[in-house]
Amino acid sequence: MRDVAVVGPDAGTDLGDELAPSSATSTRQRLSGWQRVAIGAALPIAVVGVWSVLSATGVLSDDLFPSPMELLRTARAFVVAPKRPPVPGVIPFKGAAVMHIRATVGRLGLAYLIAVLVGVPLGMGLGLSRWMSAAVDPVFHAVRSVPITAWLPIALVWFGLGEGTARFLVFIGAVSPIVVATADSTARVPRQLVDTARMLGTRPRELARRVYLPAGLPGIVTGMRLGLTLGLTSGIVGELSGQSSGLGAMMFAAREVSRLDQIIIGMATFALIGLAGDLLLRAASRPLVRWADA
Amino acid sequence: MGGRLSTTAAGPALLATGVAKGYGNLSVIAELDLLVAAGEVVAVLGPSGCGKSTLLRVLAGLERPDRGRVEAGGRPVRGPSPERPMVVQGATLFPWLSLRANLEWGPRSLGDRRSGVIVDELLHATGLNGYADLLPRQLSGGMRQRAAIAQVLANRPPLLLLDEPFGALDAQTRLRMQEWLIGLLAERETATVLVTHDVEEALLLGHRLVRLSHRPAAVLEDVVLDLPSPRGRLTLADPRFVTLKASVLARVLDA
Repeated sequence: MRDVAVVGPDAGTDLGDELAPSSATSTRQRLSGWQRVAIGAALPIAVVGVWSVLSATGVLSDDLFPSPMELLRTARAFVVAPKRPPVPGVIPFKGAAVMHIRATVGRLGLAYLIAVLVGVPLGMGLGLSRWMSAAVDPVFHAVRSVPITAWLPIALVWFGLGEGTARFLVFIGAVSPIVVATADSTARVPRQLVDTARMLGTRPRELARRVYLPAGLPGIVTGMRLGLTLGLTSGIVGELSGQSSGLGAMMFAAREVSRLDQIIIGMATFALIGLAGDLLLRAASRPLVRWADA
Repeated sequence: MGGRLSTTAAGPALLATGVAKGYGNLSVIAELDLLVAAGEVVAVLGPSGCGKSTLLRVLAGLERPDRGRVEAGGRPVRGPSPERPMVVQGATLFPWLSLRANLEWGPRSLGDRRSGVIVDELLHATGLNGYADLLPRQLSGGMRQRAAIAQVLANRPPLLLLDEPFGALDAQTRLRMQEWLIGLLAERETATVLVTHDVEEALLLGHRLVRLSHRPAAVLEDVVLDLPSPRGRLTLADPRFVTLKASVLARVLDA
């Protein structure tokens, strides 16, 4: 897009036009896709290499820190279905990857969607209205500084052991960064853009949708990304509290039988889910916020 | 006439009487009168920080005067309106929209179904027809400034308010833009209030020159500029222009 200079037959002939220089204003150097992948892979490969050596030479004990090879076997067991049927009443590990991931993502997905649907309008209201922010800000910022683990007891009283508690915690975790980022980017929309829209005949009640939302979207997307991470974190806290499925539940069960390898595989799966969610969100929002790229 | 703007043939494009505006104890505009006839270009010349921009914001309806009345097309000004849009230095296009979508914003907001035709015509008039699909940041400063003026002209406003529109451009680009604007305003018979601190720009574009004092702004002189048409780069060498420029400059420097 940025390198295209379509020049029509009589475009700007006598006005001495030159397009804006395409050099980015950002001081960060641009990298191609493959360069990014290669550089991104270098650190994990180095870590695994050193770790393998330390495990093989016995510096790291298998009980406290499983070797990469052992983890690879555990990961395989997590994915591939076992020959024996699962024991009833026990949270399964072998072959249960899809089930646990589906449970965790399902819990996260719905609650996160609700957090976006609540957080974006609420944040825009706070960014647009001095009255609303004066009335709501103190309470909101006080409440959001309560750590997510401190919400667990009250969530258990309200929703009991089960889905409700986990979903509620995901919502609480995700909604606050979304509200803060949305309010901030809405309040920062240049006055001139709003004035221009009004002088072009835009109705006042359409300003939120036509000007504030698109102008604030890059900041809102950042808030949504932070919210996704925090929502995932909060979801684990919910799952540690007596779920029969989900990665958090699986890890808690693994801890009770001291299966460190399974715990680490659970952590790695969380990391992958977070990474995938973030990539998905960025890819989906990219066409809408490309204009603000540095 | 495109758009749903009511074109009022009756009355002046703008009439301000006894307009005063201040912030706290600071008086910015003191009892100012201004009349702009339909299709007339009035250049408002004043020193930096004299309250020119505040005056323009009051005329646009973006700010309310403390005292006095502002009427546009015979009706009192109560708020911003597509009938008297303002364009400021450092253009305000919507950065997330293509040039075409920026130009379509006005006609679409007013429910004008011919927005496509209007925009094609404006792209041609601004010499930007090859760039319709680019984003504002991909355009140069002069192109953006032209686009910002074209954006508000899409609604065919009877009055245009310009606040140092070419202040951020280099001298050659500025002269090209000025010639372009002179042609466009004449062709569309758009009444204009052009606020500037540049004597040459005021004399080149204005049918009338209104010179303001230091803050609080008041009218020091109001003269008709009957320089030969069409104005352009050749006007700059016209003996009458040179004499006029020297005398106005002398009064500005003595003020």
